[in-house]
Amino acid sequence: MQRSISYSPGRTKFRAMLSKINHKSFWLSRVYRFFVYVLLLDLTFIFLYPFMHMLVTSFMTDADLVDITVKWIPNEFRYQNYIIAYNFLKVPVGLRNSIIQTGLPVLGHILSCSFIAYGFARYKFPGRNFMFVLVLLSFIIPAQTIIVPMYINFVSIGWGKSILPLVVPTFFGFGLRGGLFIFIFRQFFMGLPTELEEAALIDGCGSFRTFFTIILPLARTTILVTAVLAMVWHWNDYFEPSIYITKASLFPLPHMLPGMYQEMIQVKNMFVINPVTGELTEKILNEAVAMAGTVIVILPLMIAYLVLQKHFMQGIERTGLVE
Amino acid sequence: MKRYMLSMKARRIRDGYLFVLPWIIGCIFFFAGPILLSIRLSFSKLIKVTGFQMEWLGLDNYMRAFVYDVTFIPMFLEVVKNMFVNTPLIVIFSLFIAMLLNRDIKLRGLFRVVFFLPVLLGAGYVMQQLIGYGVDKESIEVAKGMLLPREMLLYFGPRVSGFIQLFLDRFTIILWKSGVQILLFLSGLQGIPPALYEAARCDSATEWEMFWKITLPMISPVILLNIVYTIIDSFTDFANPIIDFIYQTAFQRTEFEYAAAVGWIYFIFILIILGMTFGLMKRYIYRTGK
Repeated sequence: MQRSISYSPGRTKFRAMLSKINHKSFWLSRVYRFFVYVLLLDLTFIFLYPFMHMLVTSFMTDADLVDITVKWIPNEFRYQNYIIAYNFLKVPVGLRNSIIQTGLPVLGHILSCSFIAYGFARYKFPGRNFMFVLVLLSFIIPAQTIIVPMYINFVSIGWGKSILPLVVPTFFGFGLRGGLFIFIFRQFFMGLPTELEEAALIDGCGSFRTFFTIILPLARTTILVTAVLAMVWHWNDYFEPSIYITKASLFPLPHMLPGMYQEMIQVKNMFVINPVTGELTEKILNEAVAMAGTVIVILPLMIAYLVLQKHFMQGIERTGLVE
Repeated sequence: MKRYMLSMKARRIRDGYLFVLPWIIGCIFFFAGPILLSIRLSFSKLIKVTGFQMEWLGLDNYMRAFVYDVTFIPMFLEVVKNMFVNTPLIVIFSLFIAMLLNRDIKLRGLFRVVFFLPVLLGAGYVMQQLIGYGVDKESIEVAKGMLLPREMLLYFGPRVSGFIQLFLDRFTIILWKSGVQILLFLSGLQGIPPALYEAARCDSATEWEMFWKITLPMISPVILLNIVYTIIDSFTDFANPIIDFIYQTAFQRTEFEYAAAVGWIYFIFILIILGMTFGLMKRYIYRTGK
């Protein structure tokens, strides 16, 4: 009996103390904040590590690579690694291919997915729910499951040697994660108030004109978020291009890397003799050159992301991608 | 008047179909068609590739995966194991990081940008090479001293420290893969009305209580979305052996039927996992009254 009496004020006291920790105690909150920053900086280190590693290694000479005392600062900055990698990756061709093979699908996804999602979000028609389940299913089914008939189909209609198999499905709301983009756009359109469209309808504005002149401009942030995600995914996609794109002149930039690594393993640490002049050339393919190549491959994506990141992050936080 | 209303309604339906029309066309050519063909293919033997001349085989291709092929089952189990270990860890860590980022801290913008950066590397070839060079292990090796002191591991005894080691080995990859999930959680956290927290604070709720009673229920739909996304993200992962296996089988050994069968086994497995997730989480998902 006595225990329960003494317990209850103790508990209140404990509670008061807890709330003090949360709101009032200046020093505790200072310490707490300090730990939050330490943790965030730790995590930042881990997240940035691959980039720092790539950047530093890409400037190393052969001697630096094997020298275990060299970790972060090479003895000598060897920018020639980049020249070798540049030539090896055939950057002008690869970059052009990559930009085309990323840009067109991104455009296709933005146009088709916003258009289709608007239909799903605003109109009621028989079979809508069933179709939307199929949209979600198209997102869940792995590309690998249906790749075989897709490939045979595309080859049989003569698209086997072009980039069309990568581009055309995106203009119909399919392609790499098309279902997800339809989902994101639908989520956004459903959150919009209907008054604007009603006003447009009363003024005699047709459905399509309403969509293109009123709704689409409102969806700017969602378009940007979709564009950034689609850009990153298409640029890095390896599976589908490695199947559909067989012509070397159409290889996107990331696909030049495996060839380079293969050759690297074969000619590792070997000087190549220039057949014309007969002298040792500087063409050493080592890990440093490989990393320089990697940096070149992700650099365009990196620049695009850093340019767009501010609006991208705001778009993510404000529009509420998920509900 | 009534006729006008009807035509109005009919027009709405027509416009709805017109908006979805591109998708319907795409569905026939790039989705439903290939799916049906793929199902048929997985039960048949392909005689001639052009025109899809097939001979019905029954379950032979599936039998081959489970009974005859010695490489398939271990590989499949590895994928299952990876999925069961990685998915919860990715979801928990991304929620944790998103909550850290959601506070008002300095340099918040910088941290958000940094945590999305590994997504740019993708799961593709670049990432594969970095992992091949042991960059992921290296970074944790360097960071271990900062995350928890080396000496601490000594006191834990071999079993616990072995477990921690196993966890740390995966840790980097898990963090690198959680960029999109962090964003989705951030977006969800921003959507929670601040009034809820204010009301809870007035009743002297602790941060801990607020997390379990407000944050978690409000964010539960995003948790589900993130689980689904994490599973789907692993399809494009270069390190996923099933994907490589299907590619090798279909396009290097040209055994299209077997590749289709393996693809379907993989999908059925995914479907079961997703169904289980939905079933388990249905009770805990909080829906706002919409």
